[in-house]
Amino acid sequence: MSIELLSILVLFFSFFALLAYGVPVAYAIGISTTATMLLNIVTLPAITTVAQRMTTGIDSFALLAIPFFILAGELMNRAGIAGRLIDLAKSLVGSLPGGLAYVNVLAAMLFGAISGSAVAAASAIGSVMTDRMEAEGYPRTFSAAVNITSSTTGLLIPPSNVLIVYALASGGTASVAALFIAGYVPGILVGLALMALAAVMAKKRGFPPGDRISFSELFRNFGRAFLSLLMLVIIVGGIVAGVFTATEAAAVAIAYAGGLGFAYGTIKVGDLPSVLLASARTTAVVMFLIATSIAMSWLFSFESIPALMTGFLLDTVSNPIAIFILINVTLLVVGTFMDMTPAVLIFTPIFLPVVVALGMDPVHFGIVMVLNLCIGLCTPPVGTILFVGAGVAQVSVADVIRPLIPFVLVMVGVLLLVTFFPQISLWLPALFGV
Amino acid sequence: MQRTYDILMQVLGYVLVVIFSLMVVDVLWQVLSRYALGAPSSFTEEFARFALIWVALLGAAYLNGLREHLTMDFLTRKLSPEKLERRQKNIEWWMFGFALVVMVVGGGNLVLTTLTLGQASPAIGVPLWVVYSVIPVSGALVCFFSVYHAMRETDSGLPNERLDLTVTPNHQTTIQPNNQTSSIQPNNLSS
Repeated sequence: MSIELLSILVLFFSFFALLAYGVPVAYAIGISTTATMLLNIVTLPAITTVAQRMTTGIDSFALLAIPFFILAGELMNRAGIAGRLIDLAKSLVGSLPGGLAYVNVLAAMLFGAISGSAVAAASAIGSVMTDRMEAEGYPRTFSAAVNITSSTTGLLIPPSNVLIVYALASGGTASVAALFIAGYVPGILVGLALMALAAVMAKKRGFPPGDRISFSELFRNFGRAFLSLLMLVIIVGGIVAGVFTATEAAAVAIAYAGGLGFAYGTIKVGDLPSVLLASARTTAVVMFLIATSIAMSWLFSFESIPALMTGFLLDTVSNPIAIFILINVTLLVVGTFMDMTPAVLIFTPIFLPVVVALGMDPVHFGIVMVLNLCIGLCTPPVGTILFVGAGVAQVSVADVIRPLIPFVLVMVGVLLLVTFFPQISLWLPALFGV
Repeated sequence: MQRTYDILMQVLGYVLVVIFSLMVVDVLWQVLSRYALGAPSSFTEEFARFALIWVALLGAAYLNGLREHLTMDFLTRKLSPEKLERRQKNIEWWMFGFALVVMVVGGGNLVLTTLTLGQASPAIGVPLWVVYSVIPVSGALVCFFSVYHAMRETDSGLPNERLDLTVTPNHQTTIQPNNQTSSIQPNNLSS
C-alpha cells in the first residue's frame, strides 16, 4: 500500500473514531493530523510542523474579524435590539394571514444579519415569539420549526463569520466583500421561501392575521429600530466601498454596538469584563478549531489529497450536474453531524478545486456550501440551532422534527436553485463590481 | 490542586479580558489614525495578529479548564453516567497527550528555533520566540487542566455545576456542560 493511501486512511479513520469517542472536535482534528504526520516525517520535525501550522494559520489580520463580530454580536444582544426588530417586523408583515409566522421569519433574518449569529437569533427571537404565537393559536412546535429554519438566514446575509472562514479556506480566490454581497439574494430567498410555506400552512390551518397597524405606528417602530439597521449599512457599505477591511468594520461595529447599548442604557461599564470574557470564550472555541483545521488542511495538500480527489471525481463521474449533486449530498451528510466551521475548513480545499475545474465561481461555491451546511444545523444528530430553538420554545427536540420537515425540504429546494443558477449568487456582486 | 486550579482560571480570565480589550482598542486606533489623523500606524496590524494568537491559544486552555470545547456528543449521550465518566477521563488523557507532544514539545522546539535564529517581527521588532512562547505555555496549562479533571473525584462534579440550559431573553443562549455531559456549544458564532 502506498504511503499516501495509508496516510489518508489513518487520517480519516482516526479522526472519525476520535469524534465518535467524544473527543472535542478541535482535538480530534489535531490528534489525527499529528498521527498522520508522524507516519510521513521524523518525530520532532513532524510535531514542530503541526505546532507551527496551527500558529501561523491563525496569524491573520483577516481572521481577526471573527472575534470582533462575536463581540459586536454579544454587545448587540445585551443592548436589547431584538425587541425593537420584532416590533418593526410586526408592523411590516404582521397584519397578513399567518402574520406572526412572517414576523418570526423577518425578525430572525434581521437579527441574524445584525448579530451575525444564528444561535443568537434563534434564542433571542424564539424566546419572545413562541409565547406570542401560542397566544394566537400557533402550536409551539410549529413556531419552533419556523424559528429554527429562519435563524440560519443570518449566516448568509452579511456580515457573516462563516463566510470569512470560507474566504480564508478558499485561499483568497473568493474575497470577503464579494461573498458578503453574494449572500444577500440567497439569504433573502430562503427567508421568502420559508414565508411562502408558512403562508400555505397558515391558510390550511386557519391561523389568524395579526392586528392592522397604523402608519404612524410603523413609522415609530422603524425609528426605534433605525440605529440598529444603520449599523448594517455602515459595516457592509464600508467594506464594499473599500473604506475599511472586514476586520476594521467589525471593530467599528463594536464601538457602534457599545455606544448603542450605553445610549439605550442597557449596557453599563461594569458589564464589559463579563461581555469580553464571554466573547473570548466563544472566540477560543472557533479559533482553536480553525488552528487545528488549518494544520489538517495543510496536511491534505502535503498528501496532495485535493488533486487526487479532483482527478478521481472528474474521471469517474463525467456529468458536471451529477458531480454538483454528489458534492451537495456529501455536504448535507457532513452537515448533519459536523459543525459548520470545521466542515468549511476541511471540505473547501477538497471540493473547491473540483468545482473550479468544472467552471464554478469560488464565490458561488461558498454560498452553496454555507447554505448547504445551514440545513445541517437544523437537523439531528448534531443540529446546534435545532437544540437551541427547541430549548427556547420549551418543546422536545423529537416533537419539533415533524413540523420541521417541510421547512427543511423548502431549504433543500432553495439550495438546488442556488446551486444550478449561479446568477442568484453572482449578479449582485457583479452589479457592485466586487 | 484545587487552589492552583482556581488561581489559574482567575488569572487566565483576567489575561483574556485584557488582551481582548487591547486588540479592540488597537484596531479602532488603526482606523482612526488612518482617517482622522491621516497617519497610518504600522505596528497596529502586527500587534492585533499576535494578540489573536494569544487569545486563541490561552482561550483554548481556559476552555479546557471549563470543559467547554465543542464536542459531538450524540453517540456518547446514551452512555450510563459511570461509563461516560470513565470515558471523559480517558478523553482528558488524549488531550493531555496532544498538548504535551504538539504544544509543549513541538511548540517548545519552535520557540527554541526562533530563539537561536534570533528572528524578530518586522514592524514592532518583538522577538518571535516571545510570540510563540504562548504555544508551550498554553500546552502546559492544558496538561494541568487535563490532570486536574482526570484526577478529580467523581462526586464533586464540575466547577460550574450550576450551569444548565440557560436562556435569557436578549442575551446569548448558552448551553453549558451540564454535569458530565459536555454539550454542544452554541456560542460558536459561526453557526
